[in-house]
Amino acid sequence: MNNVHQIPTRLLHILLVLALTVFGGFPIYWMATTALSLNSELYNSGQVPWPQLANLPSMIAELAQLPLMRWLMNTSIVAVGTTVLSLVLGALAGYSLSRFKFHGKGILGFLMFMTQVVPEALILVPLYAMFITLGLLNSLFGLVLANVGFSLPVAAFIIKGAIDAVPYEIEESAVIDNCPRISVLTMIILPIIAPSMAAAAVISFFAGWNEYLFAATFLMDRDLWPASVGLASFVGQYETPLSAVMAAALIFSLPAVVFFLLIQRKIVAGITAGAVKG
Amino acid sequence: MPQITMKGVSKNFGDVTVIPQFDASIDDGEFLVLLGPSGCGKSTLLRMIAGLTGITSGTLGFDGEDVNEWTPSRRGVAFVFQSYALYPHMTVRENIAFPLLMDAFRKWHHIPLVSSVMRWKLMRRPDIVERTNQIAEQLELTPLMNRRPASLSGGQRQRVALARSLVRDPSLYLLDEPLSNLDAKLRTQMRSEISTLHQRVRKTFVYVTHDQVEAMTMATKIIVMNRGEIQQIGTPDEIYEHPANTFVARFVGAPPMNLLPVRQQGQQLTLEAGATFTHPGQLPADKELILGLRPERLRLQPAEQPGIPVEVSVVEKLGAEVILGCRVLHPGGGQSGDLLRQDLVFVRISGNPHVAIGTRASLGYDAAGVNWYSPQTGKALHPAAAPLLSCSA
Repeated sequence: MNNVHQIPTRLLHILLVLALTVFGGFPIYWMATTALSLNSELYNSGQVPWPQLANLPSMIAELAQLPLMRWLMNTSIVAVGTTVLSLVLGALAGYSLSRFKFHGKGILGFLMFMTQVVPEALILVPLYAMFITLGLLNSLFGLVLANVGFSLPVAAFIIKGAIDAVPYEIEESAVIDNCPRISVLTMIILPIIAPSMAAAAVISFFAGWNEYLFAATFLMDRDLWPASVGLASFVGQYETPLSAVMAAALIFSLPAVVFFLLIQRKIVAGITAGAVKG
Repeated sequence: MPQITMKGVSKNFGDVTVIPQFDASIDDGEFLVLLGPSGCGKSTLLRMIAGLTGITSGTLGFDGEDVNEWTPSRRGVAFVFQSYALYPHMTVRENIAFPLLMDAFRKWHHIPLVSSVMRWKLMRRPDIVERTNQIAEQLELTPLMNRRPASLSGGQRQRVALARSLVRDPSLYLLDEPLSNLDAKLRTQMRSEISTLHQRVRKTFVYVTHDQVEAMTMATKIIVMNRGEIQQIGTPDEIYEHPANTFVARFVGAPPMNLLPVRQQGQQLTLEAGATFTHPGQLPADKELILGLRPERLRLQPAEQPGIPVEVSVVEKLGAEVILGCRVLHPGGGQSGDLLRQDLVFVRISGNPHVAIGTRASLGYDAAGVNWYSPQTGKALHPAAAPLLSCSA
């Protein structure tokens, strides 16, 4: 009886998921279709709405002329650097904000929040001046630092919120077991809040992976460009090789998708269950 | 194994005084239960012994040495939390072995990543494996060793928490209401398991509970606390038979001790309701008294016999015994007008006799089972009562 009643609901669910899949997947499909089209077609007769696999060799030949691997490597360095630094500092900051009482804690939290209110473009010029002084211009490390400035507060707040939910007794139990505070954090707390760490990692990684403004401003050397700046450089005054841009963009998206698929299981896994009563 | 002494120990949280002054000592090998209602400061006291909460003033000593500034790990205690506090990302084996790993760690082993490698390595060290297995076997956890806490029942989790505290073989075990999350049957089972454990390891146990049954069945000594102050220190028998004040008399025992305000005239006692009866023994000198009688010390007898005239209002059949709730009658035979304000007088009768609600009867008692209290101070007037605020342990 119940099953009969559930059929329309289930059907609605399936239709909704299908609609969302089409909605989300269509841009990727269109990107692939555009990548497999010829520029002459795109600018003259219009785009064919299905992938033309016959154009695959010409697409590969076009991509081979670009320093795509170098750009991807630079993007990876920036994204991974931003993620690692944000997580390490975010874990320490989040733990301190969650567990310690100190003067100015409220103001510190407010200031960290304010970094998210200020647009990147607003601090571009002062940051540029600062980077000149510090010798961080035209350096991937400098770019990582600039990105961390924006992703760290988010990571710290996510981690703080997660640590707030970890019962204090677990920590005290570790202290009784002769575990120093740094190990309490690394061996007990961080594994428990792994889903939140993964969420912070995703945010930091994509902040670094997609960053364009700082990279375009601070990096002059073409060899240091990340893929975002490299792709933008395709845009010409009279012509933009759309198929090459889309092909490169497709390749640029793949590592990010793989990273997300690897980490998303951690995000959905709640492992604190069973730690305490209930 | 240390003797623990607390001299003038107090604890304030801001302006709030939780423990004004605490003086007591705990002997080696003792099973001390801190008993009191919620919020009386017993858990705070336990945490101060463990070093998890600082002491505002006073001295905590282990074998005469001041340990106020010692870290929890230096104190070498085991602590079992009310909420188990198991590490949810570790298996039962890893949970039990964790204190051993921490003891085996050198300082540089705590460097992140190095710690993971060292944990993996030490988990395979023969002595740690053997000790972990031995403790797991003692607490019947062997089949659960590779499971995570989330997949264990409450009782199993509690046993893992006990195993983790046992594994280091500490000299002092601190247990903070460890059974309060278990169902009644499991609680009874774990109660006897903890008692057996104490007898086997012969170490000092300090056990916090608000459950008097746990206190009475496990303790070798009980400290009854209220509002951060010691109400009485004594063996379970002393606490039960001779409560030092009306708080202890009401807190220990289910149903609690009957406390009847009386006025004495010679051997005659007059209740507030007006009923008069003759006391079968000697009386204290005070005119105004509180007569304390445990429910099992009262006898239900025919209404014609001398005693406290009552009418049965509540009958609770518990199988092996019956608990009667009785209301004291006026001299004219009716019930007191302020029924709601008047406490029931409880009587415990062994067996399963049939007593109907509304039965009128007389309650008799022997002088030997009586405790007397001052209505003004609430303190015991009976010369046999244990001394209040005793420091001896």
